[in-house]
This record gives sequence, structure tokens and C-alpha cells, in this order.
Amino acid sequence: MGELAASATPDEELVSIGLGSCVGVALLDAVNGVAGLAHVMLPEANAAYSAPAKFADRAIPTLIAATERLGAVRDRLEAVLIGGAQMFGKTGTARANGAGTLDLGARNEAAVREALAREQISIRAAATGGSRGRTVRVCAVPALVGVKEAGGVEVELWGTAPGALAAEGEAA
Amino acid sequence: MPPRHYTELQLDALQELASIGSGTAATALAQLLGRPVDITVPRARALGLADAVDAAGAPEEQVASALMGVGGDLEAVVLLLFPSADEATICGLLGVEADTDVGDSALGEIANILGASALGALAKMTELALEPRPPAVIHDMLGAIVASVLAETAGDVDVALMLDAELSIAGAPCSVSFMLLPTAGAVDELLARLGLDR
Repeated sequence: MGELAASATPDEELVSIGLGSCVGVALLDAVNGVAGLAHVMLPEANAAYSAPAKFADRAIPTLIAATERLGAVRDRLEAVLIGGAQMFGKTGTARANGAGTLDLGARNEAAVREALAREQISIRAAATGGSRGRTVRVCAVPALVGVKEAGGVEVELWGTAPGALAAEGEAA
Repeated sequence: MPPRHYTELQLDALQELASIGSGTAATALAQLLGRPVDITVPRARALGLADAVDAAGAPEEQVASALMGVGGDLEAVVLLLFPSADEATICGLLGVEADTDVGDSALGEIANILGASALGALAKMTELALEPRPPAVIHDMLGAIVASVLAETAGDVDVALMLDAELSIAGAPCSVSFMLLPTAGAVDELLARLGLDR
């Protein structure tokens, strides 16, 4: 939560378990085999200090830098978004404080999309919205992003080696 | 930022609130079910956000949860977590079927009763006006539920305070996690009322 990581190690997985209203942002350079994953909690920062990926507006530049340090080429980075669910139904918030519909998931997703647009990074796939929590797995080599909804099975959301995940599933 | 934001003395006092709140909740649950309820380890913990999610249990576990917002003099969320098997047991004790509309409304009612009694005890002790809000019931991954609540309560702060306890129902292999998650501002207010602000 509020954390980020990058990897260029073959078959290494970056994982965020249980993304609810939080948004997982995966950045991949499939050519150089670099991937990064940030777990964004809130749309924007108004605190001096925070965990590196807590706020969408700060997380994206930090995640780009983390992938670049491992050899990713800035112009080749592609994004995949996961999460941003409205977990608490009609009440909109866990606190149900009647302050209008504060759909934190949707606000997080909008803030992440805006931050990526500012950096001119295209979003290739997204599994966002709805009301279910999700788990995401990201691998740099082979480049793929798998997502699993609460109570569901893992599906490949994006990848350069189609079927890689399915094959893995059969082996296991 | 290390997750050490409160002094030992403050945490001791908050632990006392956790004991009183969960003790009252356990009594209410025992009355509701007509059987004894044991409390295990009421705690007050100040944790980093990721650690707080981990402390709640295995993040990918499918659970039922009933949560109740708290308003008035401070903002907080009361969160009850029922592992799937225990949801079925507790609904069975109440004579309803789990994971149905009726089952969900029973869980919401448990949150209402436990939450309101715990808040009543805390309100008496701190002289704060605490207003329970209507409960919501959701089934999802434990991590997604807890993280989404913490995203709202913690806000800009990277440390979450968790007052929690396990309530175990005697004669049925069944337990409920009972948590009070105050917003960062609410913790300061609680400490001020106890004369422990700095």
C-alpha cells in the first residue's frame, strides 16, 4: 500500500494483493524487459511526506524513474491499470458520512489517467471500476500482466507472450 | 516514516479503550447469540499502512465484512470481519442463511449492535458524542476491504491506528475480528480527551 517496485529479472513477479479502491499502475518496456508496479491509494498529495506511491500525482513520475534505472526506455513505456473499485456500494464511502458520493476508486483512477497523460504514456489495458477487489501480478520477462478478481480466476490482461499465463496455470 | 508516532503511554491508554470497546462488544454479541463470547488480545497498534493490512489477516482471503461509519465528535470506521466459514456459522446461530440478503442484513445488524455498544462505552469514557451511521455489508478479499477503509481513514498520514480484538463464540468454532479504525484527526481528539495530548 503506497509502495512501488520495479523489476528486470526474468520470471520475477511484482504483486499487489487486494486492490480495492486503490489503483495498481503497471508500466512495462517489453523490448528491454523492464516492468514496474505502483500501489496508489489517493488521488493527490497535500502532505510533505508520504510513502512513494501513495498519491497518484507523485507515484507516476517516481515509477517512471524506477523503471528507467533498470534500463527502460521512457518513450516505450506502456501502462496497464488495475483496481479503482467502488467497494462500499451505494454509501460510496466506508464512513458513510453523507458528504455526497465520494467514490474514491473512480477518483484514484481519474488521477492516475491524468498523471499518465501528462507524461504521455499510453494505457494499453485496464481492469478498473466495478465493486470487486482485485489482485495483480506483473512480470517483466516475459512481459505480462495478470489480474484476478475476488472470488474469480486469474486472467491475462495484457502480455507480449499470449497464453504464457494459461500454460503456467496448467503446469501448476 | 517509522510507524512510531505515539508514545508508550498513549498506546497504553488507547489499549485500554480497545479493551473496553471490545469487551462491551463481546457482551452485546453474547446477548445476541445467547452464548458466551471470549475476547482474545484486545490491542491498540500503530502500524504502517501496508503492515496494518497484513495485521488484519491473509490479504487474499475471501471474507464477509460489516462496516459502520462513525461521526459526531470524531470520524472513524467500525469494521467486523468474518472468515467465510465463520460467516456461515454465525448466520446459522441466528437462523439465517449466509451470503443471502437476509444473511447480509443479519451481519449488518451485528455491526449495528456491536458498534453501537462499543461506541457507547467509549463515549462515556471520553465524553465525546459518537454517532453510528448505517452499516454496509460486503464480501470481498480481506486486503481490498481493509486497504480501502484505511485509504479513507488514514488520508495523508502513513500510520494507521488499529484498536482490535478477536471475539470467539463458545461452543462454535467461530470468531469475528472487531476493529475500530479512527481517522488520524480522531486519534488526536481521543488522546486529548484522555489528557494525553502533548
